[in-house]
Amino acid sequence: MVRASTVVEISRTLSEILVCPLSKQPLRVCEKSNSLISDAIGVSFPIIDGIPCLVPKDGKIIETPTDVDSLDTKQCT
Amino acid sequence: MAAVFQFPFAPVVGQTTRRRQQIRSSADRQALFSRIAPVYDDLNDVLSLGQHRIWKRMAVNWSGAKEGNNVLDLCCGSGDLAFLLSQKVGLNGEVTGLDFSREQLIVASKRQQLRAKPCYRNLKWVEGDAINLPYPDCYFDAITMGYGLRNVIDKYKAMKEVYRVLKPGSKASILDFNKSTDGFMTSIQGWMIDNIVVPVAAGYGLTEEYRYLKSSIQEFLTGEELEHLALESGFSSARHYEVGGGLMGNLVATR
Repeated sequence: MVRASTVVEISRTLSEILVCPLSKQPLRVCEKSNSLISDAIGVSFPIIDGIPCLVPKDGKIIETPTDVDSLDTKQCT
Repeated sequence: MAAVFQFPFAPVVGQTTRRRQQIRSSADRQALFSRIAPVYDDLNDVLSLGQHRIWKRMAVNWSGAKEGNNVLDLCCGSGDLAFLLSQKVGLNGEVTGLDFSREQLIVASKRQQLRAKPCYRNLKWVEGDAINLPYPDCYFDAITMGYGLRNVIDKYKAMKEVYRVLKPGSKASILDFNKSTDGFMTSIQGWMIDNIVVPVAAGYGLTEEYRYLKSSIQEFLTGEELEHLALESGFSSARHYEVGGGLMGNLVATR
Protein backbone atom coordinates (compact mmCIF):
# COMPACT_ATOMS: atom_id res chain seq x y z
CA MET A 1 0.00 0.00 0.00
CA VAL A 2 1.38 3.38 -1.02
CA ARG A 3 1.36 6.04 1.70
CA ALA A 4 -0.25 9.40 0.91
CA SER A 5 3.08 11.21 1.26
CA THR A 6 4.70 8.80 -1.21
CA VAL A 7 1.87 9.45 -3.68
CA VAL A 8 2.54 13.20 -3.41
CA GLU A 9 6.27 12.62 -3.87
CA ILE A 10 5.68 10.49 -6.98
CA SER A 11 3.29 13.10 -8.36
CA ARG A 12 5.72 15.99 -7.86
CA THR A 13 8.57 14.09 -9.51
CA LEU A 14 6.36 13.26 -12.45
CA SER A 15 5.21 16.87 -12.87
CA GLU A 16 8.84 17.95 -13.07
CA ILE A 17 9.49 15.56 -15.96
CA LEU A 18 6.26 15.24 -17.90
CA VAL A 19 4.57 17.82 -20.12
CA CYS A 20 1.09 18.02 -21.59
CA PRO A 21 0.96 15.49 -24.46
CA LEU A 22 -0.92 17.96 -26.67
CA SER A 23 0.41 21.43 -25.87
CA LYS A 24 3.86 20.23 -24.67
CA GLN A 25 3.56 22.82 -21.88
CA PRO A 26 4.42 22.08 -18.21
CA LEU A 27 1.98 20.22 -15.98
CA ARG A 28 1.19 20.91 -12.35
CA VAL A 29 0.19 18.48 -9.64
CA CYS A 30 -3.22 18.61 -8.00
CA GLU A 31 -2.85 16.68 -4.76
CA LYS A 32 -6.53 16.61 -3.95
CA SER A 33 -7.57 14.89 -7.17
CA ASN A 34 -4.19 13.14 -7.60
CA SER A 35 -3.92 14.36 -11.15
CA LEU A 36 -1.66 16.35 -13.43
CA ILE A 37 -3.19 19.56 -14.75
CA SER A 38 -2.47 21.12 -18.10
CA ASP A 39 -3.41 24.78 -17.73
CA ALA A 40 -2.54 25.34 -21.39
CA ILE A 41 -5.51 23.31 -22.59
CA GLY A 42 -7.58 23.09 -19.41
CA VAL A 43 -7.38 19.31 -19.00
CA SER A 44 -6.57 17.08 -16.04
CA PHE A 45 -4.85 13.73 -16.39
CA PRO A 46 -5.28 11.15 -13.61
CA ILE A 47 -2.50 9.34 -11.75
CA ILE A 48 -3.71 5.81 -10.95
CA ASP A 49 -1.67 3.55 -8.68
CA GLY A 50 1.35 5.75 -9.28
CA ILE A 51 1.11 5.47 -13.08
CA PRO A 52 0.10 8.74 -14.77
CA CYS A 53 -2.36 8.43 -17.62
CA LEU A 54 -1.35 10.93 -20.30
CA VAL A 55 -3.29 9.51 -23.21
CA PRO A 56 -5.02 12.60 -24.67
CA LYS A 57 -8.44 10.97 -24.98
CA ASP A 58 -8.37 10.03 -21.28
CA GLY A 59 -7.89 13.63 -20.13
CA LYS A 60 -10.79 15.33 -18.36
CA ILE A 61 -11.71 18.79 -19.54
CA ILE A 62 -11.85 21.36 -16.76
CA GLU A 63 -14.92 23.19 -17.96
CA THR A 64 -16.59 25.12 -15.20
CA PRO A 65 -15.56 27.12 -12.13
CA THR A 66 -17.13 24.27 -10.13
CA ASP A 67 -14.68 21.86 -11.75
CA VAL A 68 -11.84 24.23 -10.92
CA ASP A 69 -13.05 24.61 -7.31
CA SER A 70 -13.37 20.84 -6.94
CA LEU A 71 -9.73 20.55 -7.94
CA ASP A 72 -8.98 22.94 -5.08
CA THR A 73 -6.54 25.14 -6.92
CA LYS A 74 -5.10 26.51 -3.70
CA GLN A 75 -3.61 23.09 -3.10
CA CYS A 76 -2.50 22.70 -6.71
CA THR A 77 0.96 24.17 -6.92
CA MET B 1 8.61 -30.03 -28.84
CA ALA B 2 5.96 -31.50 -26.54
CA ALA B 3 6.76 -28.80 -24.00
CA VAL B 4 5.62 -26.16 -26.49
CA PHE B 5 2.08 -27.49 -26.26
CA GLN B 6 1.70 -27.44 -22.49
CA PHE B 7 -0.64 -24.53 -21.90
CA PRO B 8 -0.53 -23.15 -18.37
CA PHE B 9 -3.62 -21.03 -18.95
CA ALA B 10 -7.12 -22.26 -19.73
CA PRO B 11 -8.73 -20.81 -22.86
CA VAL B 12 -10.79 -17.71 -22.15
CA VAL B 13 -14.51 -18.56 -22.05
CA GLY B 14 -16.41 -17.40 -25.12
CA GLN B 15 -13.32 -16.79 -27.27
CA THR B 16 -13.87 -19.80 -29.54
CA THR B 17 -17.31 -18.56 -30.57
CA ARG B 18 -16.25 -15.00 -31.34
CA ARG B 19 -16.39 -14.13 -35.01
CA ARG B 20 -13.22 -13.01 -36.76
CA GLN B 21 -12.86 -9.33 -36.02
CA GLN B 22 -10.89 -6.60 -37.68
CA ILE B 23 -8.09 -5.07 -35.64
CA ARG B 24 -8.03 -1.74 -37.41
CA SER B 25 -8.22 1.23 -35.10
CA SER B 26 -5.92 2.35 -32.32
CA ALA B 27 -8.66 1.38 -29.84
CA ASP B 28 -8.84 -2.13 -31.35
CA ARG B 29 -5.08 -2.55 -30.97
CA GLN B 30 -5.11 -1.18 -27.44
CA ALA B 31 -7.82 -3.68 -26.53
CA LEU B 32 -5.86 -6.50 -28.19
CA PHE B 33 -2.72 -5.80 -26.20
CA SER B 34 -4.75 -5.52 -23.03
CA ARG B 35 -6.31 -8.95 -23.70
CA ILE B 36 -2.99 -10.66 -24.31
CA ALA B 37 -1.23 -8.93 -21.39
CA PRO B 38 -1.55 -11.85 -18.94
CA VAL B 39 0.21 -14.32 -21.26
CA TYR B 40 2.29 -12.00 -23.44
CA ASP B 41 5.64 -12.85 -21.84
CA ASP B 42 5.01 -16.60 -21.86
CA LEU B 43 3.99 -16.54 -25.50
CA ASN B 44 7.02 -14.48 -26.52
CA ASP B 45 9.27 -17.13 -24.97
CA VAL B 46 7.38 -20.06 -26.47
CA LEU B 47 6.93 -18.64 -29.94
CA SER B 48 10.49 -17.41 -30.39
CA LEU B 49 12.07 -20.27 -28.40
CA GLY B 50 13.57 -17.61 -26.18
CA GLN B 51 15.31 -15.84 -29.09
CA HIS B 52 13.41 -12.59 -28.49
CA ARG B 53 15.67 -12.02 -25.48
CA ILE B 54 18.73 -11.93 -27.76
CA TRP B 55 17.10 -9.57 -30.25
CA LYS B 56 16.10 -7.23 -27.44
CA ARG B 57 19.65 -7.14 -26.06
CA MET B 58 20.84 -6.24 -29.54
CA ALA B 59 18.24 -3.48 -29.76
CA VAL B 60 19.45 -1.99 -26.48
CA ASN B 61 23.08 -2.13 -27.62
CA TRP B 62 22.17 -0.41 -30.88
CA SER B 63 20.43 2.39 -28.97
CA GLY B 64 23.77 3.53 -27.59
CA ALA B 65 22.31 3.84 -24.08
CA LYS B 66 24.99 4.02 -21.39
CA GLU B 67 25.41 4.55 -17.68
CA GLY B 68 23.78 7.69 -16.36
CA ASN B 69 21.62 8.22 -19.44
CA ASN B 70 17.97 9.29 -19.47
CA VAL B 71 16.16 6.86 -21.79
CA LEU B 72 12.70 5.95 -23.04
CA ASP B 73 11.28 2.57 -23.99
CA LEU B 74 8.30 3.38 -26.20
CA CYS B 75 5.42 0.89 -26.54
CA CYS B 76 7.11 -0.83 -23.59
CA GLY B 77 4.41 -3.46 -23.07
CA SER B 78 5.39 -5.68 -20.14
CA GLY B 79 8.79 -4.00 -19.96
CA ASP B 80 11.42 -6.34 -21.44
CA LEU B 81 13.43 -3.56 -23.06
CA ALA B 82 12.87 -1.18 -20.15
CA PHE B 83 14.39 -3.70 -17.72
CA LEU B 84 17.43 -4.13 -19.95
CA LEU B 85 17.81 -0.34 -20.20
CA SER B 86 17.48 -0.05 -16.44
CA GLN B 87 20.53 -2.28 -15.95
CA LYS B 88 22.42 -0.44 -18.67
CA VAL B 89 21.93 3.12 -17.33
CA GLY B 90 22.19 2.21 -13.64
CA LEU B 91 21.03 4.17 -10.62
CA ASN B 92 22.39 7.47 -11.97
CA GLY B 93 20.21 7.10 -15.04
CA GLU B 94 16.47 7.22 -15.59
CA VAL B 95 14.26 4.90 -17.59
CA THR B 96 10.67 5.51 -18.61
CA GLY B 97 8.49 2.78 -20.06
CA LEU B 98 5.53 4.23 -21.95
CA ASP B 99 2.60 2.24 -23.36
CA PHE B 100 -1.06 2.80 -24.23
CA SER B 101 -2.20 -0.37 -22.47
CA ARG B 102 -2.64 -0.02 -18.70
CA GLU B 103 -2.93 -3.80 -18.40
CA GLN B 104 0.54 -4.24 -19.92
CA LEU B 105 1.93 -1.54 -17.60
CA ILE B 106 0.43 -3.31 -14.59
CA VAL B 107 2.25 -6.51 -15.63
CA ALA B 108 5.45 -4.48 -16.04
CA SER B 109 5.05 -2.86 -12.64
CA LYS B 110 4.45 -6.24 -10.96
CA ARG B 111 7.55 -7.68 -12.63
CA GLN B 112 9.51 -4.69 -11.30
CA GLN B 113 8.30 -5.39 -7.76
CA LEU B 114 8.85 -9.15 -8.00
CA ARG B 115 12.38 -8.93 -9.33
CA ALA B 116 13.27 -6.14 -6.90
CA LYS B 117 16.72 -5.45 -8.37
CA PRO B 118 18.20 -2.27 -6.85
CA CYS B 119 18.76 -0.66 -10.28
CA TYR B 120 15.03 -0.95 -11.04
CA ARG B 121 14.46 2.06 -8.79
CA ASN B 122 15.40 4.12 -11.86
CA LEU B 123 12.37 2.82 -13.75
CA LYS B 124 9.01 4.59 -14.10
CA TRP B 125 5.90 3.67 -16.06
CA VAL B 126 3.66 6.06 -17.98
CA GLU B 127 0.40 5.37 -19.79
CA GLY B 128 0.59 7.40 -22.96
CA ASP B 129 0.24 7.65 -26.70
CA ALA B 130 3.22 7.18 -29.04
CA ILE B 131 1.94 9.93 -31.35
CA ASN B 132 1.56 12.48 -28.55
CA LEU B 133 4.52 12.03 -26.21
CA PRO B 134 4.34 13.88 -22.87
CA TYR B 135 7.98 15.00 -22.95
CA PRO B 136 9.73 18.22 -23.91
CA ASP B 137 11.95 18.54 -26.97
CA CYS B 138 15.46 17.08 -26.92
CA TYR B 139 14.95 15.20 -23.65
CA PHE B 140 16.22 11.60 -24.06
CA ASP B 141 19.71 10.18 -24.62
CA ALA B 142 18.29 7.07 -26.30
CA ILE B 143 14.95 5.56 -27.25
CA THR B 144 14.02 1.95 -27.87
CA MET B 145 10.85 0.53 -29.34
CA GLY B 146 10.25 -3.20 -29.48
CA TYR B 147 7.41 -4.63 -31.55
CA GLY B 148 5.59 -1.33 -31.24
CA LEU B 149 5.95 0.76 -34.40
CA ARG B 150 4.14 -1.87 -36.50
CA ASN B 151 1.10 -1.46 -34.24
CA VAL B 152 0.98 2.35 -34.42
CA ILE B 153 -1.59 3.59 -36.94
CA ASP B 154 0.25 6.83 -37.79
CA LYS B 155 3.87 5.71 -38.02
CA TYR B 156 5.10 9.00 -39.46
CA LYS B 157 3.67 10.95 -36.53
CA ALA B 158 5.24 8.49 -34.10
CA MET B 159 8.66 8.85 -35.76
CA LYS B 160 8.31 12.64 -35.66
CA GLU B 161 7.62 12.45 -31.94
CA VAL B 162 10.58 10.11 -31.37
CA TYR B 163 12.75 12.59 -33.26
CA ARG B 164 11.39 15.55 -31.29
CA VAL B 165 12.10 14.13 -27.84
CA LEU B 166 15.58 12.78 -28.70
CA LYS B 167 18.66 14.85 -27.96
CA PRO B 168 20.65 15.81 -31.08
CA GLY B 169 23.13 13.07 -31.94
CA SER B 170 21.19 10.42 -30.03
CA LYS B 171 19.67 7.26 -31.43
CA ALA B 172 16.36 5.47 -31.68
CA SER B 173 16.57 1.67 -31.91
CA ILE B 174 13.39 0.14 -33.27
CA LEU B 175 13.04 -3.66 -33.29
CA ASP B 176 10.20 -5.42 -35.03
CA PHE B 177 9.27 -8.17 -37.44
CA ASN B 178 11.02 -7.78 -40.78
CA LYS B 179 8.77 -7.23 -43.76
CA SER B 180 11.01 -8.92 -46.24
CA THR B 181 11.30 -8.14 -49.94
CA ASP B 182 12.40 -11.75 -50.42
CA GLY B 183 9.39 -13.83 -51.47
CA PHE B 184 10.83 -17.01 -49.94
CA MET B 185 11.42 -15.37 -46.55
CA THR B 186 7.90 -13.90 -46.62
CA SER B 187 6.48 -17.37 -47.32
CA ILE B 188 8.46 -18.91 -44.45
CA GLN B 189 7.32 -16.16 -42.09
CA GLY B 190 3.69 -16.57 -43.14
CA TRP B 191 3.88 -20.37 -42.82
CA MET B 192 5.31 -20.08 -39.30
CA ILE B 193 2.55 -17.74 -38.22
CA ASP B 194 -0.20 -19.90 -39.70
CA ASN B 195 1.15 -23.24 -38.54
CA ILE B 196 2.98 -22.51 -35.30
CA VAL B 197 2.10 -19.09 -33.86
CA VAL B 198 -1.67 -19.17 -34.30
CA PRO B 199 -2.16 -22.79 -33.13
CA VAL B 200 -0.04 -22.14 -30.03
CA ALA B 201 -1.92 -18.89 -29.34
CA ALA B 202 -5.18 -20.81 -29.80
CA GLY B 203 -4.22 -22.85 -26.76
CA TYR B 204 -4.35 -19.64 -24.77
CA GLY B 205 -7.67 -18.63 -26.33
CA LEU B 206 -6.00 -15.91 -28.42
CA THR B 207 -6.42 -17.15 -32.00
CA GLU B 208 -7.66 -13.92 -33.55
CA GLU B 209 -5.23 -11.76 -31.62
CA TYR B 210 -2.26 -13.62 -33.08
CA ARG B 211 -3.81 -13.91 -36.55
CA TYR B 212 -3.56 -10.11 -36.49
CA LEU B 213 0.22 -10.55 -36.53
CA LYS B 214 0.30 -11.73 -40.15
CA SER B 215 -1.74 -8.84 -41.55
CA SER B 216 0.15 -6.33 -39.43
CA ILE B 217 3.44 -7.52 -40.96
CA GLN B 218 1.94 -7.38 -44.45
CA GLU B 219 0.89 -3.78 -43.79
CA PHE B 220 4.21 -2.85 -42.20
CA LEU B 221 7.12 -1.17 -43.96
CA THR B 222 10.16 -2.89 -45.45
CA GLY B 223 13.59 -2.10 -44.08
CA GLU B 224 14.26 0.35 -46.87
CA GLU B 225 10.89 2.04 -46.36
CA LEU B 226 11.61 2.36 -42.64
CA GLU B 227 14.93 4.03 -43.40
CA HIS B 228 13.11 6.50 -45.68
CA LEU B 229 10.47 7.12 -43.02
CA ALA B 230 13.16 7.97 -40.49
CA LEU B 231 14.92 10.35 -42.88
CA GLU B 232 11.59 12.01 -43.77
CA SER B 233 10.93 12.43 -40.05
CA GLY B 234 14.11 14.44 -39.71
CA PHE B 235 16.71 11.89 -38.64
CA SER B 236 20.17 12.57 -40.04
CA SER B 237 20.86 8.91 -40.71
CA ALA B 238 18.97 5.61 -40.63
CA ARG B 239 20.00 2.01 -41.13
CA HIS B 240 17.88 -1.16 -40.96
CA TYR B 241 19.56 -4.40 -39.88
CA GLU B 242 18.03 -7.85 -40.40
CA VAL B 243 18.36 -10.19 -37.44
CA GLY B 244 16.99 -13.59 -36.49
CA GLY B 245 17.77 -15.03 -39.89
CA GLY B 246 15.80 -12.23 -41.58
CA LEU B 247 12.62 -12.80 -39.59
CA MET B 248 13.25 -9.69 -37.52
CA GLY B 249 14.68 -6.27 -38.25
CA ASN B 250 16.14 -3.41 -36.22
CA LEU B 251 16.03 0.19 -37.43
CA VAL B 252 18.71 2.44 -35.99
CA ALA B 253 18.01 6.13 -36.59
CA THR B 254 20.25 8.96 -35.44
CA ARG B 255 18.91 12.47 -34.81
